[in-house]
Amino acid sequence: MAEPCPRCGAAVAGERCPQCGLVIALYHASLEKMRRGPSAPAGGPTVPTAGPAMFRAPAPDAAAASPIPAATRRLQFHGAAGSLFGIYAVNVLFTLLTLGVYYFWGKARVRAYLLGQTELERDRLAYHGTGLELLVGFVKGVIVFGIPVTLLSILPQIYGAPDQVATALSRLLWLLGLLLVPVAMVGSRRYRLSRTSWRGIRFSFRGPMREFVGIFVVGSILTSLTLGIYYPVFVTKRQAFMVSHAYFGSRKFDFDGRGGALIGSFLGMALLFLPTLGLSWFWFSARRYRFFTEHTRFGATRFRSTVTGARLAWLQISNVVAIVGTLGLAWPWTVARGVRFYYRYLTLEGTLDVSDIHQDARAASATGEGLAGLLDVDFGVS
Amino acid sequence: MAEPGARSWDASYLDGRTPTRRPVRIIIGQDGIEITPAEGGTSFRWPLRDVRQTQGFYPGEQVRLERAGSLGEALLVGDVAFLTALRAAAPQAAGAFHNPARRRWQAGLAVGAALAAVVVSLVLYFWGIPALAGIVASRVPVSWEVALGESAIAQLAPPSRRCLDPTRQRHIDDIVAVLLRPLPDRRYPFRVTVVDHPMVNAFATPGGFIVVFRGLLDRTENAEELAGILAHEIQHVLHRHATRAILRNASTGILIAALVGDVSGIVAFGVESARTLGDLHHSREAEHEADRDGMLMLNAAAVDPQGMLAFFQAMQKLEGTNRAAVRYLSTHPAASDRLQALSALAAQAPRPSVKLLPDYDWTDIRKMCPTANR
Repeated sequence: MAEPCPRCGAAVAGERCPQCGLVIALYHASLEKMRRGPSAPAGGPTVPTAGPAMFRAPAPDAAAASPIPAATRRLQFHGAAGSLFGIYAVNVLFTLLTLGVYYFWGKARVRAYLLGQTELERDRLAYHGTGLELLVGFVKGVIVFGIPVTLLSILPQIYGAPDQVATALSRLLWLLGLLLVPVAMVGSRRYRLSRTSWRGIRFSFRGPMREFVGIFVVGSILTSLTLGIYYPVFVTKRQAFMVSHAYFGSRKFDFDGRGGALIGSFLGMALLFLPTLGLSWFWFSARRYRFFTEHTRFGATRFRSTVTGARLAWLQISNVVAIVGTLGLAWPWTVARGVRFYYRYLTLEGTLDVSDIHQDARAASATGEGLAGLLDVDFGVS
Repeated sequence: MAEPGARSWDASYLDGRTPTRRPVRIIIGQDGIEITPAEGGTSFRWPLRDVRQTQGFYPGEQVRLERAGSLGEALLVGDVAFLTALRAAAPQAAGAFHNPARRRWQAGLAVGAALAAVVVSLVLYFWGIPALAGIVASRVPVSWEVALGESAIAQLAPPSRRCLDPTRQRHIDDIVAVLLRPLPDRRYPFRVTVVDHPMVNAFATPGGFIVVFRGLLDRTENAEELAGILAHEIQHVLHRHATRAILRNASTGILIAALVGDVSGIVAFGVESARTLGDLHHSREAEHEADRDGMLMLNAAAVDPQGMLAFFQAMQKLEGTNRAAVRYLSTHPAASDRLQALSALAAQAPRPSVKLLPDYDWTDIRKMCPTANR
C-alpha cells in the first residue's frame, strides 16, 4: 500500500521516495533516535544473568535492545530474483549430477537465502538447518513410513490375498495416512522453527503432538459431517495450535482468534464460488489471512495485515501465468515477489520489547520434515 | 568504513543469550579474531578454526560469522571488504570464507549452471533413462513380471467381462502354441483372454497376459489375422516393453521431481504433458519393434503373413469410417508406414505356409462372447 513520503508527501511504493529520494526506513530510524536522545537509559532493569561477563556495561546497543516506543514495524525482504535464480540453477544441476542427493542441500540453501534476506529492526533472520539433516530426516521418513506402506499396499496383490483382506488393509493404510499428516505438520514446524533465529535467539515450537492429532482427526470428521461448514473453525484451531505453541527464545506467541468469526465469510465464498468462477476463494483466503494475522500477538506486539482478495488474486494468477509462460524459469522471481508481497501488507504494531527474552532453544529432529516431504503436505502457517 | 587491507573493523556481537546486539571492534589476527566491546569490557578471542561464515554471500547482505559449538553467538560485519581482509590475513583458512571478488562471476555461473542443467536433463531424458530402464528391465525376474501382470489383468479385464468358452478358447491357444513352437525362450506362460467389449483393440501386460477385445476378434476374417495380432503382442512381452515403460516412467518422475521439486503444481502439470509426449515417442519405437519381430515370428512359424497385412489394411479402411471405435490404431503406429515396412518383411516369408486350424470355420469364433450369442 502506498503511504505518503514523510518529507515531501509524494506517494511511495518501495523503500525510497521517488520524488525526493528519501529512504523511508532510514528517516524513521533517525527520527526515533532523535526522539530518544543519544544517552537514553536502557529502560527497566536488565536481567543480571543475561549479558556475558565480559561486558562491563549493562547498557546494550541503544538502538537494538531498549524498549522501543510503540510504532509500526515491518519485515523487509532484500532478496533478489537474480540471486535466487542462481541458487536454483545450481541446485537443479547438482541434484541431477548427484542423482537427487543434493536436493536436500539445495532446499537448505533456498531457505537460508529467504530467511537471511528478511530483516526486522535492522537485524536479519538466520537459518541454521543443513542439507544433511534434511537427508537424514527423509531417510528416516522412508524407513518408518514409506517402506511399510509400499509393502503393505503391494504384498496383498502379489500374494493374492482375499479381497476382504486387501480392502481392510487399504482402509487401514488410509487411516494411517490421515494420522501421519498431523504428525508431519507438527514435526515439520518444530524442525523449521528450531532452525530459525533472530539476533542469535532461536525460535522453537513446543506444541504436544498428541493434542494436534486430536484437533486434526476431530476437525476432519466434523468438517465432513457438517458438509464443510466446520472448516473455518477447523483451520482456525489448527492455526491457534501452531501459533500459540511457538516461541521466540523464552517468550511465547499468542493467538486469540475464534473460527466462528470466519463462518459467515466462508459461506459467502461458497455461495459466490460458481458465479465468480472461483475468484471468491481469493477473497476468503485474504480474509482468513488477515484474521489469522490480526489475532497473533507477541508480547505487546500485535500483527496486522492489509492484504485484500483482489491483490492476492492478482499475485497468484499473475505468478501462475509467469511460470507457465516461461516454462518455470520465472519461479525464483515469483518466490521473491510473493515474500515481498506478504511483507508489504504485514505490520507489527505496539511496543516491541525484547529485553527480557533469553535463549531457550529446543532440540528437534528433521524426521517430521522428511515425513512432510513424503506425504507432500505443505501449509501456509506463518 | 575501513580500508580493504585494514585489520580492525566495526562489527556487532550477538552473545546467543539475549536478543541484544552490541557494538564491538574486531581485529583480525593470524589464527583468530580479537573482539573488544565498544562500550568497554574485556576482549575475547575466536580461534579461526571455530569460525563459520553463514551469511554474506550475496550483494547487500551483511557478513555473519558464527562460532562452532555455540548456539547463537555471532559476529555481524556490515562491510563485505572485511572478508577480503580476513582471507588475506589468514591464507591458511581462506577457503572457509566467501571471496567477494568472485561475485562478478556469479551471474555468469548462474546462467552456465542453468544451461548445464538443461543439457544434463535432456541427456538423461533421451538417453540415460531409456538405457537404464532397458538394463534394469532385462534383470527383472520373470516371476515378478507375472505377478505384476496378474494384478494388472485383474483390473483391466475383470473376470465378469471375460468370455469364458473353453472350446473356442482352445482354438486361440492352438494358434499361440504354433507361434511359440520355434521359440527358444519358454519362460513366459502366455495366456490370451478375450474380453466382452466392442472396442477394436488388443494389449499385453508384463508376464505374458494378452487381452483381445471382442470388437477386434469379430473383425478377424481368419486364424492367420489373429495370429498376426498375437505375434505382435507376444513380442511386446518378450521385449519387456511394458516393464521398461514402467521403469522409465518412475525414473522420469524422479527427474521431474529434481527439476521442479519446489515449483507449484501447474508447472508439474506442464512437465507431465511433456512426459506423455515422450512416452508416445517411446511407444512408437516399441510398436515398430513388435511389428518387425512379430512378422519374423510368423515367418519362423511358417504362418501366412498375408493375414497380418490384410488385417492392418482392413483397420486402415475402418479408421476412415469409424475412428472412435478403432482404438487399435490410436495406440499403434500410423497404418500406412506400418504396412510398407511389413510388406517388405512379408516378402521373405517361407513358402508354402502352414494353414492354421484347417478344420475350423473361423467365423464361429465370433460366438465366443455372451453378447454375440444373444
